[in-house]
Amino acid sequence: MSSDQPLLEVEDLTTTFSTDDGTLTAVDGVDFSVDTGETVCIVGESGSGKTVATESITKIIKTPPGHVEGSVRYEGRDLLSLPEPKLREIRGNEIAHIFQNPQEAMNHCYTVGWQIAEALQIHQDVSDEAARAKAVDLLDRVGIANASSRFDDYPHEFSGGQKQRVMIAMALVGDPDLLIADEPTTALDVTVQAQILKLLDELQDEFDMGILFVTHDLGVVAQIADRIVVMYAGKVMERGGVLDIFDNPAHPYTQQLLECLPEFGGTGGGIPGTLPDPHDPPDGCRFAPRCEYAEEACRTGGQPEEIEVAPGQRVSCVHYGPGGSPSVVRSEEFGPANGDETGPTGGESGVGPADD
Amino acid sequence: MGFGRYVTARVLWAAVVSLIIVTVTFLLLAAAPNPAVQRAATQAALQGGDPAAAAERVRELRGLNQPLHVRYLDYIQSVYTLDWGWSQSRSQPVMEAVTQALYYTVQYSVPWTILTIILGPLVGVYSAANMYSWKDHAATAFAFFGYAIPNFFFGIILLLVFGVWLEVIPIVYDTGVPVFSVENAIQLAVPVFVLVTGSIGAVMRVSRNESAEFQNADFMKTAKAKGVSPLRAYAYHVMRPTLVPLSTTLVGQLLALFIGSSLLVEVVFGIPGLGRLTYEALLAQDTNLVLGTTLFFTFVAVIGNLLEDIVFTVLDPRISYDDR
Repeated sequence: MSSDQPLLEVEDLTTTFSTDDGTLTAVDGVDFSVDTGETVCIVGESGSGKTVATESITKIIKTPPGHVEGSVRYEGRDLLSLPEPKLREIRGNEIAHIFQNPQEAMNHCYTVGWQIAEALQIHQDVSDEAARAKAVDLLDRVGIANASSRFDDYPHEFSGGQKQRVMIAMALVGDPDLLIADEPTTALDVTVQAQILKLLDELQDEFDMGILFVTHDLGVVAQIADRIVVMYAGKVMERGGVLDIFDNPAHPYTQQLLECLPEFGGTGGGIPGTLPDPHDPPDGCRFAPRCEYAEEACRTGGQPEEIEVAPGQRVSCVHYGPGGSPSVVRSEEFGPANGDETGPTGGESGVGPADD
Repeated sequence: MGFGRYVTARVLWAAVVSLIIVTVTFLLLAAAPNPAVQRAATQAALQGGDPAAAAERVRELRGLNQPLHVRYLDYIQSVYTLDWGWSQSRSQPVMEAVTQALYYTVQYSVPWTILTIILGPLVGVYSAANMYSWKDHAATAFAFFGYAIPNFFFGIILLLVFGVWLEVIPIVYDTGVPVFSVENAIQLAVPVFVLVTGSIGAVMRVSRNESAEFQNADFMKTAKAKGVSPLRAYAYHVMRPTLVPLSTTLVGQLLALFIGSSLLVEVVFGIPGLGRLTYEALLAQDTNLVLGTTLFFTFVAVIGNLLEDIVFTVLDPRISYDDR
């Protein structure tokens, strides 16, 4: 186990794309970290920059070529300054990815065995037989029945859930320390989703991996996360332990996200409004245009500084800052419909009056 | 259905197709007036004999007085035993004439086909990888140029420039030089180049557009996340799926060019190959020889399509063998 240093430490990550309409800032100065054995969830609605943030870590952003700035330290190495060949040694070996759509994530022209063996043989000098044995072993481990006979099957001969299992097996070839899972269960039906989450949980203990998990599904977050990072329009709105945030969401955006859940009395109406234009984000808090508590102070300057509202829980909201009043935001009862009473009071006590 | 059964079924279909084509040619020939009979009748009339009797004699001699089905079976047997009759204009068996001409056609067709099959997809995928750069535009311009300009015209221009003005290539094809010699390479370079420009355009365009789709596919991101190098990703993950739609275009293009353009190119460059053999047979109204070359091209097309069908399923495992 690493001691004081996190497994992955991302600081001031900014990813921009040059487009015909000018510079698009998908991720705008984001910080987060992942420890060994820990699951960190990046949560936010579609288009908030979650995927780009995780793909910036090992620079696997597809097209258009994104420009990544900031610092990504992985086991003491600065990944962003590493040359491409060095980065390639880390990808799929120490840091593995699984993706949203297992249907499309494998090449339909090759057997699943070939594709797992490819991942292995790129990083390790092993014979075809040894690669096959290892691949069969991994397929068996992720719960593919008759693994050795299914080695030579093509992706289209597997179901969606099985494909995601195969993708997980492919990710495990190098005994990765960090697994980046980008909405791995979104394309799967609910029962399969639960199986995959359970599998990831088991594998995390077995391989002692840190998992960075991207999702917009708070139900999934509740099942697997240790810590949450809430992103909106390329910025972090709030972060903290999963229980703290579910019990005591500080940021209005987080509150509204949670309110969408049926357990919290969600009506399926969603949050009114849409994401701001990433070419020209609004001044002040990114969420201000959609926020029911927005004031004049919310619409000027940059995104507010993150303020610690509880141990380990920090929020980027004017109302918690100097001169703000958290009671504006936390006036409502919060928590599950049958919920406990920690909501408003807990929030108030957690705020320091002058935190800067 | 397994792969073996699929191949067997395809081969049987190809045999049926060739049989249908052979039957059609037979019916056309049976319906058409036979020039030999007419000639004999004219001859007899000129010499004061009985044209009808002379015609009858020739018909008897050639077995044309027999019932249709007997002649048909006889014809089928001859076609499949490669006994393709006698060429009047060349005074040799048709099979021999075809074989001799094939010798020259193969000399430029093989290099031309290989170049197209190898260079076309490579340049196309390279083009897609550098889409909208000057390299891509240059490749596109070349592709459209080769596709647009008629081969025989391009051949004449190149002959004029390199043969007449610069005098670096011979104007008249020399059949006397050995196959593997510098002289032969020089005299075949221009026809091969002309044919490659004609065929490679479509191959380049198809492989460029198909691979453009695959290079942005999710599995390319997976490959990158696995640590696959860009070169390997293109060679394995883009090229392979691109070859599936490409194989259709490739076979069609090559066959069309082999049959159509090679005729004109051979006439322009004076290569005594299959194209010119067909051309001269047509001019000389040598029915047997025309039939022979037609059958030859037909069989090439049938075999080409058969190979395409088989390659198709090998390249894309998702294509089902069932119901086909």
